[in-house]
Amino acid sequence: MTKIWHIIKYEYRRHVFRKRFLFSLLSLPMAVIAMILVAILIGAFSVDTSPVGYIDYADVIHEPITIEEEGDIFNPIIPFTAYQDEDRAKNDLEAEEIQAYYVIPETYSDSLEIELFYLEEPGGDVQSQFTDLVRQNLLASEDLDPEVIQRLEEGSLITTTSLDGSREMREDQWYTIFTPFIAGIMFVVVVMTSGGYLLQAVVEEKENRTMEIVITSVTPTQLMTGKIIGNIGVGLTQLVIWLIFGWIGLRVGGHFWPFLQDFSISTDYILLLLAVMLPAFVMVSAFMAAIGSTMTEMREAQQVSGLISLPMMIPYYISSTIMMNPNGALVVILSYFPLTSPITILMRSAFTVVPAWELAINITILIAFAVFAIWFAGRAFRMGMLRYGKKLSIKEIFGKRIEK
Amino acid sequence: MAIINVSHISKRFGETQAVNDLSFEVKPGEIFGLLGPNGAGKTTTIRMILDIFEPDSGEISVLGGSMNEEKKNHIGYLPEERGLYQDIPLERCLTFLATLKGMDEKKASAELREYMKQFDLYEYRDKKVKELSKGMQQKAQLITTLVHDPEIVIIDEPFTSLDPVNTEMVKDILEMKRDEGKAIIMSTHQMNQVEELCDRILLIDHGQRVLYGTLREIQNNFSSRDIMVTPLSTLPDSIGGVREIRKLNGRYRLVLEESSEPNKILKNLINLGVELIEFEIAVPPLNEIFIKVVKEQEGDKND
Repeated sequence: MTKIWHIIKYEYRRHVFRKRFLFSLLSLPMAVIAMILVAILIGAFSVDTSPVGYIDYADVIHEPITIEEEGDIFNPIIPFTAYQDEDRAKNDLEAEEIQAYYVIPETYSDSLEIELFYLEEPGGDVQSQFTDLVRQNLLASEDLDPEVIQRLEEGSLITTTSLDGSREMREDQWYTIFTPFIAGIMFVVVVMTSGGYLLQAVVEEKENRTMEIVITSVTPTQLMTGKIIGNIGVGLTQLVIWLIFGWIGLRVGGHFWPFLQDFSISTDYILLLLAVMLPAFVMVSAFMAAIGSTMTEMREAQQVSGLISLPMMIPYYISSTIMMNPNGALVVILSYFPLTSPITILMRSAFTVVPAWELAINITILIAFAVFAIWFAGRAFRMGMLRYGKKLSIKEIFGKRIEK
Repeated sequence: MAIINVSHISKRFGETQAVNDLSFEVKPGEIFGLLGPNGAGKTTTIRMILDIFEPDSGEISVLGGSMNEEKKNHIGYLPEERGLYQDIPLERCLTFLATLKGMDEKKASAELREYMKQFDLYEYRDKKVKELSKGMQQKAQLITTLVHDPEIVIIDEPFTSLDPVNTEMVKDILEMKRDEGKAIIMSTHQMNQVEELCDRILLIDHGQRVLYGTLREIQNNFSSRDIMVTPLSTLPDSIGGVREIRKLNGRYRLVLEESSEPNKILKNLINLGVELIEFEIAVPPLNEIFIKVVKEQEGDKND
């Protein structure tokens, strides 16, 4: 046991206390921050906040400035200027003092048509804010209860509840869509980087011939167990640090964008995440170790490891199918196949209620494959450990007897 | 009582019979030379002793029984294929490998520092292994082999990449370990080192035992009836009991007549008034024996 512990410690230290790890650790939060910054910049530069004019022949707008909300960087307030006649508005438009102007014709109450004139089509914000302005003024002109007005203005919030009442989904719960995506990406990145480390560790030991000393000190099982646990430790460290980053991000971001404060994940979903991710993590690590044992060069090993990483990403390529039809045949099949199941299960569960028995089968298959992968890795390792120049074929690994 | 007992082991890899019915034993307190030409089956034999390979047939007993995990802690192994973790500091690499031999980190660290000082590696302890020279890496690997004070030391070509000073030091250490009662198996092609260090040798070829015994026994078996002498001046043209006198580089090789004995020749030389600096029975160098035996084997194979 102490030897396994030494191996775990060694594997953990050699990866975590390295510059490379720091880079991979910072890469995801940095990428997220960069994406947010780009979004902000695009938002800030693409929205034209110059005034929009209107000519109100129908006498609809009595209170020109009724929007009380404060604008933010994504939704800046666009000032609306009243004009008495179209010529002046047109002049100002040509002089680029306004970006567009609306004409509400006298026949508006019958035709319900408004005309818009522009040189360059204004963004969606202009349209929606002008619609709000007109709606508010129309409502104000009716003699309505202020509460009714408020409700009409805010619209409805639809909550979808599953028949058995176990699941609810509300329109404003944007994170139900984001959580499986983010969790999945984090999972794949972590599993693949730490799996990559493991792959590298095994190939290196073969390449630099340390293997022979190591296996005359410990058993292959001890070595494999230590390496797999050590590398999962590396992955979990990465994950925990990212979660802390994310949590801080939500807290800090919540001050600027209140919608971030709504973020929450149910305990059930967290349990599901763990139940899916842990066996998948062990499975991928063990397969990586097996690849490392059978290959003789790092480059080759990395190419072969694509056989593991590519299928894991398949659910992303068909994410729209999963979202629209989470119970379709293809999606269900993918949730049973061990390499595609982790991400498929996480996505499916976010968009539909997957029966408990189905989840149980999915997870059991994953666990069974994790156990199989460890066995496979142990066998591949025992056979491949001292082959320096020769690759090991899959047929050999499944052969009856280990040539020891 | 033997510390390693190898009894009739055989091992085949596909078409190749790597080891064929090989038996020998290694005792505590001896340096045992495992010799043979390239591809003779030395490394396979070592790997079978270490339980990396299992013999197809035959028995191996190490430290009084079959190999187990605990026993691995009492074996130090310097493989032919040298290897250390390249990307980490020397001290961390050595400490990790020592802990895999069952040493606790503190003890390993203290012992390692002593060894590093002895091997002039102490000031390089924070350097990455890949930054060290080949000779330094070789020394580091020797430390890994010895630091846990193993009962059995198995070393494959311990002197390659070492300069004469370090070679002497390693020899001293091996002799010290032998005097402490450890069993040392040394596999090498450097026959002069074998002559200097080994108590007993096993020569294998094509996986089979060719020569086995003490160095002296083997050399005596191969000694011719020749005497090497170095006189102060010159030798007379004929000496009683000597069939032929050959001059070699200041020395003389005396080939004796069938009935003659070395003692008789010494007496005759003294009677002839020859002053001698050196008088010795010509023992064939191990190198010669090695080449002769291996060539004979080749001849047998070809017949």
